[in-house]
Amino acid sequence: MGDVILTMKGIDKSFPGVHALDHVDLEVRKGEVLALMGENGAGKSTLMKVLTGIYKKDSGTITYEGKEVEFKNTREAQDAGIVIVHQELNMLGHLTVAQNLFIGREFKNGIKIDDKKMNEEAKKLFDRLNVDIDPTETMSKLTVGKQQMCEIAKAVSFDAKVIIFDEPSAALTEAEIEEMFKIIRDLKKKDIAMVYISHRMDEIKVITDRVTVMRDGTYVGTLITNECTKEDIINMMVGRVIYEDPKTVSAVPKDAPVVLKVEHLNAGKMVQDVSFELRKGEILGFSGLMGAGRTETARALFGADPKESGDIYINGQKVTINSPEDAVKAGIGYLSEDRKRYGIVVQKTVAENTTMATMHKFMKGLFIDKKKEEEVAQEYVDALATKTPGVDQLVVNLSGGNQQKVVIAKWLTRDCEILIFDEPTRGIDVGAKNEIYKLMNKLASEGKSIIMISSEMTEILRMSDRIVVMCEGKKTGEIGIEEATQENIMNLATREIN
Amino acid sequence: MEKFKQNAFVKKVGFNRIILVGVMLLMYLAFGALTGGSFFTVSRIMNIFNYVYFLGFLALGVTFVIATGGIDFSIGPVMFCCALISGYSFFNHGVPMGLALVLCVVVGLLFGCWNGYLVAFVKIPPFIVSMASMNMAKGIAAVFTKTQSVSWPQSSDPAGWYRNLVKFGSIPTGFIIFIAAAVVCAIILNKTKAGRYILCLGSNSEAVRLSGVDVKKWTMLAYVICGILVGIAAIFYVGAYTTVQPGYGDQYNNEAIACCIMGGTSMAGGLASIAGTVIGTLIISLLQQGILALGFSKDYQFIITGLIVIAAVYADVSARRRKN
Amino acid sequence: MANKKALSKLKGREAIVVGIILVMVVVFSLLSPTFRTYTTFVSLLDSSYYVALMAIGVTFPLITGGVDLSIGTGLISYALFGGYLIVHQEMPVAVGLIACVIMGTIFGVLNGFLVAVMELPPFLATLCTCMINRGIGSLLSGGFGISWPSALSSDGWFRSIFRINSNGKILPVGIILILVLVLVMNFVLKHTKVGRYTIAIGSNKEATRLAGVNVKFYHIFAYTICGFFAGLAAIAYSGTYVTIYPGSGAGFEMDAIGGAIVGGVSASGGVGSIIGTFLGVIVICLMKVGLPFIGLQANWQQIITGLILIGAVLIDVVKKRKV
Repeated sequence: MGDVILTMKGIDKSFPGVHALDHVDLEVRKGEVLALMGENGAGKSTLMKVLTGIYKKDSGTITYEGKEVEFKNTREAQDAGIVIVHQELNMLGHLTVAQNLFIGREFKNGIKIDDKKMNEEAKKLFDRLNVDIDPTETMSKLTVGKQQMCEIAKAVSFDAKVIIFDEPSAALTEAEIEEMFKIIRDLKKKDIAMVYISHRMDEIKVITDRVTVMRDGTYVGTLITNECTKEDIINMMVGRVIYEDPKTVSAVPKDAPVVLKVEHLNAGKMVQDVSFELRKGEILGFSGLMGAGRTETARALFGADPKESGDIYINGQKVTINSPEDAVKAGIGYLSEDRKRYGIVVQKTVAENTTMATMHKFMKGLFIDKKKEEEVAQEYVDALATKTPGVDQLVVNLSGGNQQKVVIAKWLTRDCEILIFDEPTRGIDVGAKNEIYKLMNKLASEGKSIIMISSEMTEILRMSDRIVVMCEGKKTGEIGIEEATQENIMNLATREIN
Repeated sequence: MEKFKQNAFVKKVGFNRIILVGVMLLMYLAFGALTGGSFFTVSRIMNIFNYVYFLGFLALGVTFVIATGGIDFSIGPVMFCCALISGYSFFNHGVPMGLALVLCVVVGLLFGCWNGYLVAFVKIPPFIVSMASMNMAKGIAAVFTKTQSVSWPQSSDPAGWYRNLVKFGSIPTGFIIFIAAAVVCAIILNKTKAGRYILCLGSNSEAVRLSGVDVKKWTMLAYVICGILVGIAAIFYVGAYTTVQPGYGDQYNNEAIACCIMGGTSMAGGLASIAGTVIGTLIISLLQQGILALGFSKDYQFIITGLIVIAAVYADVSARRRKN
Repeated sequence: MANKKALSKLKGREAIVVGIILVMVVVFSLLSPTFRTYTTFVSLLDSSYYVALMAIGVTFPLITGGVDLSIGTGLISYALFGGYLIVHQEMPVAVGLIACVIMGTIFGVLNGFLVAVMELPPFLATLCTCMINRGIGSLLSGGFGISWPSALSSDGWFRSIFRINSNGKILPVGIILILVLVLVMNFVLKHTKVGRYTIAIGSNKEATRLAGVNVKFYHIFAYTICGFFAGLAAIAYSGTYVTIYPGSGAGFEMDAIGGAIVGGVSASGGVGSIIGTFLGVIVICLMKVGLPFIGLQANWQQIITGLILIGAVLIDVVKKRKV
């Protein structure tokens, strides 16, 4: 194994209210592939953003090729030889492959752009990487896999010494991943250092040399890939002590009726043949890693996105749900993970947001009964203990937790029997979190049925009566709260080693 | 200043609107002073108003569209199309005056439906729909009238009674109807389900859709309301000017949009005020007439209105940028 | 043979438009003998010069994903300005011609600034400059039409850029100029940085910025090209028509934008070619000139252009929905 090319030491970074990185260390060597692993929100991406100058670190040192460096932007990092291959591709779909590779640094022949030379150079580059892509093809016509190859080729063309792969395989097929691995192995031989961020355990085992694990913004440890097992890595990822008391027994009686039954739901790559049942008064946790397809399942169920097939039964009756309108009529409410975009209208008042799904109940003939609207909104503000100066306050002025309560109130006015909470406490501070939890428990005990999608292991173990685990668009298991542990959930949430 | 903004009355009426009224009064005084008082008389002002009611109706209509976050700059040519089709039908197809006025509104309504359907259901960007409708309105009007201009009957004509809608003897009927229409619009926008949804979806249409609301229907309705008001605007246009010519009307798009934006309606949607639009209309028309009263030619109107819209849109854009 | 080779070089969309042009010519010719005359051919070309020039220019803002609605009114305003200098200030004709182009370029830069730097919506920004242009045009002309020097006068030489009267036979030489400009701008769009970054901005502005391209500069440049060509269009209009009336010109831009979109420019940006735009303009002008020959008013062309605009964008929308 080669010499150390990059060392990050004691990197610290805080955002308002979040200590994102707590004195993290990282060491990358020439000609190695270092896996960077951790649960959602462990700080992997933040660390890489600090490295490439997107974020400014609060403290700590970065040593690159023996010198201490601090890049101001990605461009500077790029010029120094550190390049990120993003999960979301930064491509120009209307231009050709070669034009994309050299955008911003075209070869010129007088005033004319020398496309011929660019095509030749691109061809040489692809030959060197052993990929078969026609440089004159339009970018948008390539498969996602090939586009990913182009991004890698672009990184190489910058004479990169360190390449960071941010979940590069998320959108690739098996064959494409195989091809990418070939390239990575080639790059290794050329002494290029690589950081590989991924959740896929099998890939980590195949392609990486060492694994660095992060958890909750801290550095946990580094293992030699060959010498460790999947279980070792999982233990490092989840090995936190759960302070809040986890639920140990399901609160749902064995004979509680099934309220919602979903059978063979299919919607694109992210929702493949998902089936599950939800009982009255139950909180059904949906666990899994980022990109497991949980939100997509919820959106397809709710009619927000089109679905390909699948049957939905509510109280034993088959229902057709093609739009959110249908879902709401069937008694389902959906609280999105992205409140600001999908949950609330921030420039409107608390009262207006509360009644948004139930306008018809607040009509007096043709007109809106503003008095009744405000009374009802006030009732919910009191019942949910929403902190707001009044119901005529614009929602934009409320804190995250209180905004969430407004969204909950919106669905409660509708008497929804089934509520889907997608990341109910994301971006909400600890105190308000507990209130949301209490509220959810209260709703469940009153007979509402809740689906809770959460990426936080503690939240899943604390709230759920039963847990459905998903991985890459498929349901990989179902665990009763009695048997659930961090380890067995994480085991189902990560791919098996073939 | 901050204290003034926090005042209960100011909060209720809205800070911007108070500023607008202030600007209007200042302008009025300035024009009055500069023209040696001849601009001051009520009769003069009312006389000016006779020629701008149509603009007010256009502005009211486009306020609904802008509230959804869309845009319609086909309204000027569509208004001419309404007036041309119904006027031509009156003269050449023996359509009685009453029916001609109804026809005016129906043509506007049809254009509103067409625009709304394309924007809401087919999901074609509003500005493309506007461009297409602008062209089609001109083309249809020209084809229908065989490229002739139409002069609606004068007041002396037995069929000239429609002009009483603008002014009936000394009663400013136009003013009354316009204010009544504005009140109805304000009620629709602020007190009904339709208005609530139009404003909310202009602010965040995805959140409204996920609340189980049929967003397409309400978006389309905004364009339909706009179309109806454009049809009414056509009546008030001929009521004041009598003559309409095919191929024209573009300038009124801008003026109507200017009235809206001056009145505090945001181009991004979700924020609209009918009272603001009314005041905006008064400001724009006072300004335009003031320019004339000062002895400048009509051409300065175009330039100044253009500059005002740029300034108003920029203020809107930069305010939004600051917020994000 | 040479023709065949040239045709095979045209891409899918362009080939279709060529097909449409041929069908239209055949239909018009079959239905009306008068359409088949040389005079019609010349008047077709005469009416297409200014549209073609505007369309070449507006292709650039369209490809960035924007639009310039000021070019129609602008071209009249610039022509009035040039005419004002020549007729009222008795300056040489050349000065008038240059003035047209300079005015156009200034307004192009202004539009670019409003869109790229002040970040106003393109259609609103250009609608405003459209009004400003209209005011300036009328002010300069005092509200009256201005006639540039006629072909017979000694100062009328500029008209022979577009048509030469030799022994009673009119030669439409303007088409040569237009074709040269089409080829030049095709080169600019396809093979220079300006063109490349125009497409890149329309394709993904943020990614282009991240690649280190000075996005604002090239965004302004696209509008500047558009303004420059509106200035050239003003010369073409003055050179082919007798009198320029203030207040006209609104709606000219629709023929140009319609032509560009028929020729395959995507209304959502990123796609388009100058040759396609030129072919699209021919379709629009053929309609305008040809429809009266088959008993329809020329104004049907406006309605059809509107429908085509919707149709062309609909194709885009449907394509996107499938992906």
